[in-house]
Amino acid sequence: MIKCYNVIKMYPRNYQALQGVNLHIRPGEFVSIVGQSGSGKTTLVKTLIGEEKITHGKIVIGGWDITNIGQREIPVLRRQIGVIFQDFKLLNKKTLFENVSFAMQVCGGSPSKIRKIVPHVMKIVGLEQKMHRYPQEISGGEQQRVAIARALVHRPKILLADEPTGNLDSINANEIIELLLRINKFGTTVILVTHNREIVNSLRRRVITIEGGKAINDQAIGKYIL
Amino acid sequence: MFLSTARVIKFSFQDIFRNIWLSLVTLIILILALFTVNMLLVVKVVGDTAVEAIKEKIDVNLFLKSSAKEEEILALKANLEKLSEVKEIEYISKADALERFKEKHSDNAQILDSLRELGTNPLTPTLVIKPTSLDDFDNLINRLNAIDNEIIESRNFANYKLILDKINGITKKVTDAALFLSSLFVFITLLVVYNSVRVTIYTHKQEITIMRLVGASRGFIQMPYLLSGIIYALLGVIAVALLFYPFLSLLQPYLEAFFVGYNVDLPAYFYGNIVLIFGTQFIGASLVNMIATLFAVRKYSRV
Repeated sequence: MIKCYNVIKMYPRNYQALQGVNLHIRPGEFVSIVGQSGSGKTTLVKTLIGEEKITHGKIVIGGWDITNIGQREIPVLRRQIGVIFQDFKLLNKKTLFENVSFAMQVCGGSPSKIRKIVPHVMKIVGLEQKMHRYPQEISGGEQQRVAIARALVHRPKILLADEPTGNLDSINANEIIELLLRINKFGTTVILVTHNREIVNSLRRRVITIEGGKAINDQAIGKYIL
Repeated sequence: MFLSTARVIKFSFQDIFRNIWLSLVTLIILILALFTVNMLLVVKVVGDTAVEAIKEKIDVNLFLKSSAKEEEILALKANLEKLSEVKEIEYISKADALERFKEKHSDNAQILDSLRELGTNPLTPTLVIKPTSLDDFDNLINRLNAIDNEIIESRNFANYKLILDKINGITKKVTDAALFLSSLFVFITLLVVYNSVRVTIYTHKQEITIMRLVGASRGFIQMPYLLSGIIYALLGVIAVALLFYPFLSLLQPYLEAFFVGYNVDLPAYFYGNIVLIFGTQFIGASLVNMIATLFAVRKYSRV
């Protein structure tokens, strides 16, 4: 599903954020990518969604080589990967329903299809009663669930969660992780990028450890080793 | 296609109404900018009227012999009126000339006493010739010089040429200066509108970034903002038109008092050219809004 071959990312003034990352994530896996702040986790996420271009190497997602992806193709890539961010990234001037349906609208989804699918997805994340509220009217945990709903609504094969529990308390964090596990059960490949030791250790799933821009460890049933 | 258009319109109106204060501020700045442009137009119209008023004062006096008979004078007048360079001719008889002279110098006792001393009317009958256009002045002078009529006393038009050249020079400089200043103010106004729109888009920076990260194409993001720019331009022009007419109506009596005898009807001028004036402003404002939007959205959607 995702293959990175010797991925190197250099920033100006010779700062090497990624120093030859090699990894292979298979369809349906639940993988945690862990590392301390500044290790290169978020940079790796950015390269996977086309936000940053790599300096050297190759990235293939679902058979598509995105190494030299053009500006016009980036939206197409992002519609195929569901992404969840630490700061939720909801549109504050749109209701929760509109936030989730926006992801379908950018793909040209018809109003009838949106009216059918969005409430269903909101139900999965437990927010069907609050569809017509605005993001600032709900809690952080609920906002993250809306972000998950938005990421899921066009049924991506890959769900990329970049520090999804970073701004949440432990109870809400656990709820989000439970949700991600449920999504993974339906066959979606889930990549969880985190530096939360407790969460990683409790999952007992594959763990790839990034340190100094390199993948230094890859365990099938891994632990947070840093 | 229809679905995309409907979505663009919906998003555009949603954006305007859900950011109502920002929208109002943007609209107010646009209205002020358009008001400034219209004021410049008023200054131009008034200025043109003033220049025309000065140019209309210019006429050529053809002095005739005192002994010329009335019918000969009128015959000459009729002949001259046929010339294409002549707009109209006023005949001032000896008696009329004397009356006008006395009226002009009514507060100068010395001149009036001298006139009384003379005992006779020293003034001559005159034909006051108004040219059709000052551009034809040279042709008119040439035609007058070519007339062979013994009742003409003198035909020295050198002074007129000199005065006319001076007037033309001054009015041209005034016109050029007005054009330069107007252009400068219009440019400043355009910059103000451009930056106002950029600031408006800047406040949507985070929103644009999020839309891009969720998979929206640049066009999908840009179109609602472009439409909003056109809506702002339309609302701005309508608001200015509604504000400007009462303003002109208030101004009109003062202009009429200043330009006595001249036709300065600003409301009528604006009404008569309403499509051209406000249509041009709508197109101009829309273009500036759209260009600012395109550049700003492009900048913030580089994610």
